[in-house]
Amino acid sequence: MNALRESYGQEIDQILAKYPDDEKRSAVMPLLFVAMRKDGYVNKQDLEDIGEIIGRSSTDVASILGFYTLFHDKPEGKYRIQVCNDLPCALRGADEYLDNLCDNLGIRPGETTEDGVVTLEAVMCLAACDKAPMFQVQDYNGVAYHENQTVESTMQLVESWRAEGGKDA
Amino acid sequence: MTEAVENQVEEQAQPEEKLVTLTIDNIEVSVPEGTVLVDAAKKIGVDIPVFCYHPKMEPVGMCRMCLVEVGRPVFDRATGEPVLEEDGSPKIQFGPKLDTGCTVEVSEGMVVRGYTEEVVDARKEVLEFLLTSHPLDCPICDKGGECPLQNLTMRYGPGTSRFIFDEKHHAAKHVPLGEIIYLDRERCIQCARCTRFQDEVVDDPVIGFSQRGRSLEIVTFSDPGFDSYWSGNTTDICPVGALTTADFRFGARPWELKASASVCNHCPVGCNTTVNTRREAKSGGELVIKRMMPRQNEYINEIWMCDKGRFAHHYTQSEERLTQPMVRNEVGELEATSWEAALDLVAEEFKAASDGLVTLAGARLSNEDLFNIQQVTEKLGGKALQNTHMAGGELVASVGVGQGSNLSDLGEGDAILVVASDLEEEAPLYWLRIKQASERGATLVVANPRDTKLSSKANYELRYSYGEEAAAVMALLGSISPKTPGESEAVKKLSRGQEVKDAATAISEANNLVVLYGNEGTGLATSQSLADACANLLVATGHVGKANNGLIAVWDKGNTQGAYDMGLVPSEDLAADLMSAKAAYIVAADPAGDDATLAEAIKAVEEDAEKFLVVQELFLTESAKLADVVLPVQANTERQGTYTNAERRVQIFYPAVPAPVNVHADYAVAANIAERLDLKLQKVIPAQVMAQIAETVSDYAEVSYTKMAEVEEQWPIISSEDVFYGGTSYENEQGMGQQLQPASQGGESPALSFAQVADAPKVDGLLAVPVTRLYDRGSTVVPTELLSERLTPTSVVLSPDDAEKLSIEPDAEVTVKLNGTETKAQARIEAGVPQGYVLVPRSVGIALNSPSPVEIKA
Repeated sequence: MNALRESYGQEIDQILAKYPDDEKRSAVMPLLFVAMRKDGYVNKQDLEDIGEIIGRSSTDVASILGFYTLFHDKPEGKYRIQVCNDLPCALRGADEYLDNLCDNLGIRPGETTEDGVVTLEAVMCLAACDKAPMFQVQDYNGVAYHENQTVESTMQLVESWRAEGGKDA
Repeated sequence: MTEAVENQVEEQAQPEEKLVTLTIDNIEVSVPEGTVLVDAAKKIGVDIPVFCYHPKMEPVGMCRMCLVEVGRPVFDRATGEPVLEEDGSPKIQFGPKLDTGCTVEVSEGMVVRGYTEEVVDARKEVLEFLLTSHPLDCPICDKGGECPLQNLTMRYGPGTSRFIFDEKHHAAKHVPLGEIIYLDRERCIQCARCTRFQDEVVDDPVIGFSQRGRSLEIVTFSDPGFDSYWSGNTTDICPVGALTTADFRFGARPWELKASASVCNHCPVGCNTTVNTRREAKSGGELVIKRMMPRQNEYINEIWMCDKGRFAHHYTQSEERLTQPMVRNEVGELEATSWEAALDLVAEEFKAASDGLVTLAGARLSNEDLFNIQQVTEKLGGKALQNTHMAGGELVASVGVGQGSNLSDLGEGDAILVVASDLEEEAPLYWLRIKQASERGATLVVANPRDTKLSSKANYELRYSYGEEAAAVMALLGSISPKTPGESEAVKKLSRGQEVKDAATAISEANNLVVLYGNEGTGLATSQSLADACANLLVATGHVGKANNGLIAVWDKGNTQGAYDMGLVPSEDLAADLMSAKAAYIVAADPAGDDATLAEAIKAVEEDAEKFLVVQELFLTESAKLADVVLPVQANTERQGTYTNAERRVQIFYPAVPAPVNVHADYAVAANIAERLDLKLQKVIPAQVMAQIAETVSDYAEVSYTKMAEVEEQWPIISSEDVFYGGTSYENEQGMGQQLQPASQGGESPALSFAQVADAPKVDGLLAVPVTRLYDRGSTVVPTELLSERLTPTSVVLSPDDAEKLSIEPDAEVTVKLNGTETKAQARIEAGVPQGYVLVPRSVGIALNSPSPVEIKA
């Protein structure tokens, strides 16, 4: 019945074991991570499944999903390049870097490349102002920082993802 | 030490709340400890403006609209004495910043100022911030005219904005949260009243916030969208025009509406309502009903109502209404005729039938109607029946809840037993008020064969099999007083286990005990033994004859209790009664439409030339189509009358719109028939009918329209001038009604018989049991198109195990063979339905009055 539980039963049991029986709703965040890892976003069925596991409505789960910017509710690129262009980063050329990167990728912030490998996003402070231009990459498994970037170094990274065929994301 | 002990003693002797005295806007007020400033101010008529605060919900302090200056007396740290000003008054220290009046609790000597420049400026600023992302579309907004944001902006807000118009926040304006409620995301000011109401008050968290900051928006992920019986209430408490009902949006402006007080008759709660009407060109200059709103009655519905009551009013102004009396002519067709001719014929035939008259009345009628109908029947010596399959009206009259009862009084130390009821489906407001009592600390015992929405609130849950309702109650009684005679197998079986013993202990130790029984899976016979058992339990534990103690029957119709009180009884075999009739007088009931076997009986009456069938109705029902005479009547929105609710509170409803020309109220039609039988009944003024009831029915001796119309001060204080505080629920200016005294409260000791306890019926195959769904397909519900997608389909509900055994897929079409009829129905599968049983929702197309063997074929 519960697809999420069927696929990740053991892991979910381990997560639930961390919380007291009457506070199962606290497990919502780790369960959302589990769902995210599956295909990079949380679909409507996942919301219902998580709701069922923790005894809350799917609307409740959706409001938590919506609150956090690193949870996603629709499928996009396998790698999300999240470039910080807040003021300190902009002073170190982040804006120009982002523009050039856009030209090289052929997409604007918020868009996804045609091959589905990269989604480009402009984000707020990532706490690495001194190493700008910088971005963080979010893939299905988590986030990683890439600092002191040039468009060339970034494109190399993108090409390496493309070479992998974007598989084991 | 001694002093402390003395204080404790005093506190025990006076369990009254401690009062705190403070000054708000130079007015001194004493309020109970723990009151928040906004409420304290309201008590003395000072309005501190609010958006997110609502007196029926916990404060959250989100909107900052209620900022006020708060000062507290200064005490000398060394002596503990108050520091005084030169003039001898206590020195007050004001806070460095403004405080939110909705979260700060009162304290002794506090001084609150809500009129200073600083406060007025703060209000102006909060409003300015809200308006930066709020559209100025008041001229086309449904809330315009009763909008807190509009009113408060007019009073405190800035005349112009300092922000750039082009940079204004824009969002989707017509977002359906399901087909009933629409959201305008631009108008939403994120006060979270709606989400908190759905979560905290009615336990349906189907709407919530998503995103954050300026992108914060209301979402729903339920299927169907905004899946709740309570959704309409969010539009009342929404302080802007963000939430509107599909029924009313773009329908009228609030200031064009006239308000008439009414009482809902869809269920036995008797919610107080206000009918908003408007005379409009698009309806040919007629006065039409635009919306139904809750009207405050803290004894009954507080300030809420369910969506069925709110939306299922369209039948009253349906095109299909009957407008002329009709008689069957020589060629066998119904033909319009005059009232004189129709009534003369009816009276003549009734006289001829004499004690062969069988009257069947539906309990959506008022007391006045039922009384006059009963009097006509009694005059001829006929049988006066009411159309119900629930028994116990006379028990409620004897051991019902005492005069002065209010479910809101139940809390810690009290107990509530709910047996055989899916309470939210049967009577939504009772579900809400029992849930709230449980949250206040009352011990809740729920006995039902399956989980219902109330189960999650139960302290003790008792399971029994369908058919063992009375046994379950007797098992409780048996655990309290072991001398209970005639124990059946079922009682013995149910008495085992710790849960029933603990529940019995809780009940026997309770200060107050209220028992509610419904009709989950019961027929007339089981309902009678269940009612007996409940009464036994109440009497044995001494919980009768006083306020907040006694029996409540969750009736299947709005005025079933009134019908019992007026002397109409249920029929044990309606088909036989109808067959035996020489003349049948069917009022507000449609046996032929409800049940194929009854249709046969009615046809037999019709086909027999000797027999005579009169149907008095709003619509040309299946029964009316077979009648010799059809008499049209007024809808309850077109006339006055009273209903008696399940707590025996008698309440008046008033006319809201004019009746069709030449159509009269049921009591008047009955009185006109009576006149021709030389029986004088009141036919013009319902208050006069009530006077006659008071003379005839001893329980109603004290009831009068004047007393029912008396109002009381209620808390929270809501009124149309300050919709920001409580929402757009109407103030009650038309009366709280009168609660009758049960016989046991009048000193009469109740004459009780021990309940006839049956064991669960044993069948080889499946057993079909009737259950109630709020959104059924009754003739008063179906004409409301808005609800059409939510009405329960013609369906049966199976347990997953039985469905698997029969290889039935969810929602598949199946054939239901029941009581000699075959019906196509949708098969629903629900976990929690006990194996071996098939739930058959009432009034959705499959007739079932009591548990019966059933065959389901894929």
